Amino acid sequence: MAFLEINNVSKKFGATEAVSDFNLQIEKGELVSFLGPSGCGKTTTLRMVAGFEMPTDGRIVMDGKDITDMPANQRDVGMVFQSYALFPNMTVAGNIGFGLKIMKKSAEETNQRTKEMLDLINMPEYAHRYPYQLSGGQQQRVALARALALRPDVLLLDEPLSALDAKIRVSLRAEIRDIQRKLGITAIYVTHDQEEALSLSDRVVVMNAGKMEQVGTPFQIYNFPETNFVASFVGTLNTAEAEVVDPARGLISMDGVQFVSADDLNGRKKGDKVRMSVRPERFNFADDQKKDNLLDCTIENITFLGSVVRIQVKIGKTVFNMDTFNNPFLELPKIGDNGQVTCSKEAVLVISH
Amino acid sequence: MKKINIWAWIILFIGMIYFFLPLISTLEFSMKMIKDRYTFEAFRVAFTDRVFFERFGYSVLWALLTITLSTLLVVPTAYWVHWKLPKARPFVEFVTLMPFVVPAVVLTFGFIRLYARPPFFLNDRPILLIAGYIILSLPYMFRAVDTGLRAIDVRTLTEAALSLGAGWGTILTQVIFPNLRVAILSGVFLTFAIVMGEFTFASLLAKPAFGPYMEEIGSMRAYTPQALSLVSFLLTWASIGLLQWIGRGRVQEQVAGAH
Repeated sequence: MAFLEINNVSKKFGATEAVSDFNLQIEKGELVSFLGPSGCGKTTTLRMVAGFEMPTDGRIVMDGKDITDMPANQRDVGMVFQSYALFPNMTVAGNIGFGLKIMKKSAEETNQRTKEMLDLINMPEYAHRYPYQLSGGQQQRVALARALALRPDVLLLDEPLSALDAKIRVSLRAEIRDIQRKLGITAIYVTHDQEEALSLSDRVVVMNAGKMEQVGTPFQIYNFPETNFVASFVGTLNTAEAEVVDPARGLISMDGVQFVSADDLNGRKKGDKVRMSVRPERFNFADDQKKDNLLDCTIENITFLGSVVRIQVKIGKTVFNMDTFNNPFLELPKIGDNGQVTCSKEAVLVISH
Repeated sequence: MKKINIWAWIILFIGMIYFFLPLISTLEFSMKMIKDRYTFEAFRVAFTDRVFFERFGYSVLWALLTITLSTLLVVPTAYWVHWKLPKARPFVEFVTLMPFVVPAVVLTFGFIRLYARPPFFLNDRPILLIAGYIILSLPYMFRAVDTGLRAIDVRTLTEAALSLGAGWGTILTQVIFPNLRVAILSGVFLTFAIVMGEFTFASLLAKPAFGPYMEEIGSMRAYTPQALSLVSFLLTWASIGLLQWIGRGRVQEQVAGAH
């Protein structure tokens, strides 16, 4: 039995179904992120685990105990909010010690634990500062320490880095992951940022319109998207309508241009409409090596993105994005040039709708 | 630029005259109790009247009771409206505006008609007066607290406290009240000033308050009421000054870049 089980949970607000039939088993010490666009139900699901929303249907079981109807303040969870939500009238130490005082811990234990937490977030000298004297990143670290001070069974993070600027986001996300691993705490992390979800998580749940689209490791989610939504939401993806030509050999045709795919086309007939997709980084300019797909193209546009150069190539009537690593010693093609690009057959994904 | 500056000063000066001239004349008049001499005799007479202290004391007591009850009524209500019933806010706000819509005279007669007969018989108790004062204080208290609540993220702070195991009592006393301190205080001082000078309720309910006392003195003597009105004016000022002092803003210094 998993440590945290969310079984057939759904939530209706009036007539709209915010979350429908959500099922997930989370193991102890695992970090699972809920990824999706705003309004997909990821935060609502998190809030049901926290006890701020009651599910319309289904059960939530934590450590073998059914907590579905338990009030939020009796659940053994810590929560970190997007807006930090530090108590403005209390110092950093006051914030971290708040939960401990409520649990009627001795002053000695409260001080000891507060100090531990300040060390954990590398802010021991900030104990007597007020939240308004801290930067956003510092406030969020204090909020994390506050949530962890009671040593909860589960840590919930609701878009904790969305209000911070890009640099701090990246460093703090590594810090959160470090702390989570060090403490071995079970965590759910809600985000709409795919990079965040992919880099942090043991598993990612991709959600859309209240439904789970796919659950898997970041590797699975990125490389083998199961639905059209996952394919297009996670990473940049080229997609195009195509037609099955020869299911046995994996041949499909897009506007008369033929692609070979390694995907299983069994069960599809010649002439079936499918959606094919290729990640931009899977295309290469043709060289001497033989590749499965060798395609004529025209260069449409070139965008320099720093470490990566994104080139738009027109294959048949469709424009595809192609990413290559920046190499200052390699000459880039010019807009309007004709050339050839290649990709392996494993790169051509056929997605079920 | 120069021209605008001069006009601004002139307008400010006219405003100051409009504001201070009546006060200065009142002071001047109140000092003329003894012929051909400026003295503080009127103030001495006012302050040696035993009744003055008695009435003043009553009013202070009732003001404090009003403030306590009004705070206990308004803060949890406004908090609950913000946290759970945001749709009810316009309705609650409308209710709190009652003293602006229904004149105090009408309210008092309503009170008397309803509560001075069986089964209540409350007309002898100060509770009826305090209830009236609470209604008078509602627009100020509610608006002050409402503004204070808007300035903090009530919902998230409450949820943060809940997830740390806090109950409603703890949340109200340790999270909500302290963060509303300045807002509550501004409501409190306004309420204090209103109750101290209130006339209609106290007079119609025949309560020995400070407002009716000023009126009685005014109809009997010439100089003392002027002194008294100055005193009550200074009292209001002192309240507001106290409010400014307690509520003086913390410097909002964000440590930029130092993450």
